[in-house]
Amino acid sequence: METQNNKENTPTELEECQKIRDEYLAGWQRCRADFLNYKKEESQRAAELINFAKTNWALEILLVIDNFERAMQHKPGPEICLEWVKGVELIEGQLKEFLKSEGVEEIKAMGEEFNPEFHEAIGETENSTRDSGIVAEVLEKGYTINGKLLRPAKVKVAK
Amino acid sequence: MSKILGIDLGTTNSAMAIVEGGEPKIIENKEGARTTPSVVSKNKSGERLVGVIAKRQAITNPQNTIFSVKRLIGRNFSDSEVQKDKSLLPYEIRERQDGGVEVKLGDGWTTPQEVSAMILQKLKQDAEDKLGEKITDAIITCPAYFDDSQRKATKIAGEIAGLNVLRVINEPTAAALAYGLNKQKNHQIVVYDFGGGTFDISVLEVGEDTVEVKGTGGDTHLGGDDFDQKVMNWIVEEFKKEQGVDLSKDTLGLQRIKEAAEKAKIELSTSMETEINLPFVTSTDTGPKHLLLKISRAQLENMVGDYIEKSISLVKQTLKEVKLEPKDIEEVVLVGGQTRMPKIQEEIKKLFGKEPNREINPDEVVAIGAAIQGGVLRGDVKDVLLLDVTPLSLGLETLGGVNTILIAKNTTVPTSKSQVFSTAADNQPSVEIHVLQGERPMANDNKTLGRFILDGIPAALRGIPQIEVVFDIDANGILNVSAKDKATNKSQSIRIEGTSGLSKDEIEKMRKDAEAHAEQDAKKKELIESKNIAENLIYTVEKTLAEAGDKIPEDKKKAVQEKIEDLKKAKNDDNIEEIKKKTEELSGIAQQVGAELYKQTQQASSQSEESKKKEEEKPKDAEEGEYKEQN
Repeated sequence: METQNNKENTPTELEECQKIRDEYLAGWQRCRADFLNYKKEESQRAAELINFAKTNWALEILLVIDNFERAMQHKPGPEICLEWVKGVELIEGQLKEFLKSEGVEEIKAMGEEFNPEFHEAIGETENSTRDSGIVAEVLEKGYTINGKLLRPAKVKVAK
Repeated sequence: MSKILGIDLGTTNSAMAIVEGGEPKIIENKEGARTTPSVVSKNKSGERLVGVIAKRQAITNPQNTIFSVKRLIGRNFSDSEVQKDKSLLPYEIRERQDGGVEVKLGDGWTTPQEVSAMILQKLKQDAEDKLGEKITDAIITCPAYFDDSQRKATKIAGEIAGLNVLRVINEPTAAALAYGLNKQKNHQIVVYDFGGGTFDISVLEVGEDTVEVKGTGGDTHLGGDDFDQKVMNWIVEEFKKEQGVDLSKDTLGLQRIKEAAEKAKIELSTSMETEINLPFVTSTDTGPKHLLLKISRAQLENMVGDYIEKSISLVKQTLKEVKLEPKDIEEVVLVGGQTRMPKIQEEIKKLFGKEPNREINPDEVVAIGAAIQGGVLRGDVKDVLLLDVTPLSLGLETLGGVNTILIAKNTTVPTSKSQVFSTAADNQPSVEIHVLQGERPMANDNKTLGRFILDGIPAALRGIPQIEVVFDIDANGILNVSAKDKATNKSQSIRIEGTSGLSKDEIEKMRKDAEAHAEQDAKKKELIESKNIAENLIYTVEKTLAEAGDKIPEDKKKAVQEKIEDLKKAKNDDNIEEIKKKTEELSGIAQQVGAELYKQTQQASSQSEESKKKEEEKPKDAEEGEYKEQN
């Protein structure tokens, strides 16, 4: 009797195990698929967030565009009008002020020692007033944003 | 066991990836970039610089800034390649006692593998900082044509950097691995790798557990940088024509043009036209000068056409060497940033008659593949957990014949989604669940997977009954759809097998259909495309006039020129119909001229044939481009 019972039990136990195994595997697969889908949704959300963040930037920049358009309505004639130039300078100031409020800061370069972490060399220049390896000319300013490099300053270095 | 770093040690740029949670992932470097320039330098104070920082100071320190060292690794000084590169590279190269190569860096001489080790060391360090754990094991990739000594040197470079290099694998193999192509037995794969400075072709064969390289080809001095150079030259030329100022001697001007050229090239991969806007690019005695140019995709394609043609003929040559025809190739993989250019994809498609694999970022696909190889070695990537995604959306028909999507395309399965629906009419006794597959907004335009009826809904005003519909796909792609009336708990269901059993072509076709129906976009694109066709035609005809103008009678010539002017005007007015009409007119008269030339000389006839052929081919190409754009 006992042996017979065992014989009948063994396959059921195996079946039981297989059933549990299948359940576990399915659960594992679902969990993993959920995770992958979550990751996809998350990256989509991040993209949307970035787009949303951009709208604030765009709004601020539109203010600058408005002022440029105003300036263009009053284009000076052949003789350069000082007041007009002053106006354009004010717009420039407005834009810079906005960038500053967003944590964008200019990188010091002129007269500093050349540092490739923040400066990009476009060329070298003969310059008697500057020591070798010192930035002698800034061709395009560099900027950091919240302390991180946004873009390096383009410079010429004294030979 | 710690994570295994997959490293694509490139000629111009390197990248690295790991497998995390079963998924490959690119690791950004310390500077936050996903690729690192393969540049090493020693500055005047003897400090070692690697990556973008080394690149930024290159011009002040050309003799001590080593780039493209991959061209030298594991080679003998006497190799013809080395001799060729020696004259192109600004740093000093000399023969070592053992016949190898060494380069001058700072005060001393160092081997290419040591320089490569410096790059690898930076990657290792940055990866460790990012992941917060120690990295010891790595897989490094190398070109398929690397010989034993070059591979050994690559491995040694890894070891010098403190890495235990488990394998040095072929770049094309890694790319194929990234796409999971290693599972398709007996497939022939072509990997088309157009990088910044090199162009490689590899033909692979997937066997039992192996990927064998059957042949390689390419051009070690052809790359995306050459494309930029062409655009730069064009900008300088145009500016000279317009303003009479030569910018080719202006350091800053050139620098800005270089950046603008690359930017324009990249933008033209996704748009048909772009603007190069460089105000105050230079100044003369008469005041500041501004550069404002429009460039179309067709123009760019004309500029670099020779390079693309060359690459295609190299592919053909490589296939010939391994005695294969394009039709024998089952899969094509695109690697390298330049392969984002639609024209290249189009030419590849034309040659092989199939869509190339290009979903993975082509700058990153090799590193991703290397990481996957690492994952396989480590046992991270288990077959039972390699899950599929739904290639097309699954939904059901709702009021007004609308396709309401429950499971969006590219969702990883197994998954399940449910939504509650209701009736559309008062006292509606039953609802029909019509299960659909596809992306089109109207139900009828999609594929019907099955339908069933849930009846016995108690009489109620429309919108009151609550029918819960559940879509469930298991890991084998079997879809179960069930609908349950929440009031009576009565339910019905259907089981649909093989939802993912569609062939690649079918899926592609269905996606294409959906995209083709994005009406407004299509209209806009049609305009730009007809402009492109017009421009191509103008270009060809003007070319014919320039080449064979003396053989064309003056009155004919004048008529053609008038038509060209007409078309140019129509092109500027953005009127599709007008552009098409004028294009036809010009094409007609151009054909007449062609016929006349044909009569005149045998040689002239071949030219007109060519122009005729171009006209016929272009519209078709443009259509294909449109689809890709939206994809």
